[in-house]
Amino acid sequence: MTDIEIIQLILQGEKEKYRLLMEKYQPLVFRTCLGFVHNKNDADDLTQEVFIQAYQSLSSFKGKAAFSTWLYRIAVNASLNRMRKSKKKSILQYFKSIHGTEKEIQDQLIYETPENPEEILISKEHSDWLRVALDSLPENQRTAIVLSKYDDLPQKKIAEIMGISEGAVEALLQRAKKNLREKLSVGSKK
Amino acid sequence: MNCQLCQEKLDAYLEGTLPSDMKTQVDSHLNGCETCKHFYNILFFAGRVIDSEKKLEPDPFLVTRVMAKIENKETSVSENLFIKILRPVLITSSLAAAILFGVMLGNLSLPENNIRAIPAELAMINDASLESIDNLSQE
Repeated sequence: MTDIEIIQLILQGEKEKYRLLMEKYQPLVFRTCLGFVHNKNDADDLTQEVFIQAYQSLSSFKGKAAFSTWLYRIAVNASLNRMRKSKKKSILQYFKSIHGTEKEIQDQLIYETPENPEEILISKEHSDWLRVALDSLPENQRTAIVLSKYDDLPQKKIAEIMGISEGAVEALLQRAKKNLREKLSVGSKK
Repeated sequence: MNCQLCQEKLDAYLEGTLPSDMKTQVDSHLNGCETCKHFYNILFFAGRVIDSEKKLEPDPFLVTRVMAKIENKETSVSENLFIKILRPVLITSSLAAAILFGVMLGNLSLPENNIRAIPAELAMINDASLESIDNLSQE
């Protein structure tokens, strides 16, 4: 059964069929949400929220785009809304207070290079620092990075989801990587 | 190869999807450029962090929970509709019953009817043929 056929059955009253859509797209939605919140529990909560919202809006799905595209949009919007509402202290502030200054953390990060990639151990502090850098990106750059790196989507699909051109997606990804480098880089001039 | 081109190709280089000649050029540039090598290290590191997050599995009970929430929402919507229709009817009926009860209660509290039955003797008197009492008082 195609997604459209399943949706038609759901709208005719066979709401149990919604399970089929959820089972198919749960990994997709979870990964997208995880790219924004970096926390399994929060990602699970968001995923649940996305599917409930999608169910309530099912009658507005016209089938012009793929159902996955529509679902990605709901997931991205829900994740961005959650981030905006979040009042938690940033991980950066947390680590500043515990592990030293920002420069000290950056210096630790910069000089651990992957000379032997198979043996690199990524410490929790370093991975959290990277997440802070990712979270500090502007929303559109962050969305492009999440869809590209967490969902492994091609630029054409990202463009469809974000409602922009493929060229714009390419530009966003390049700017995001440049920003990431600048935020993480202290000793690059050495 | 310049730094800008090298940095644009680093994603594909990390994924192993660069054509071999391009890969050779990037290798050569990275060996001689600390800035680009640093950028490569950051992207490599970021990739490893993201890969570790992607290994997380979603909640296996999520589908069941969502279906339960959907069911609960639909039940409460039906109940609300029922209440929305029934409530005005109940209120109107209650008011009408209250008014009727009040009227009945009021009627019960009225004093007993003071009109007594006319005695049989008086009932036979024809008032129309009696002389006016004013005439009698003048005598």
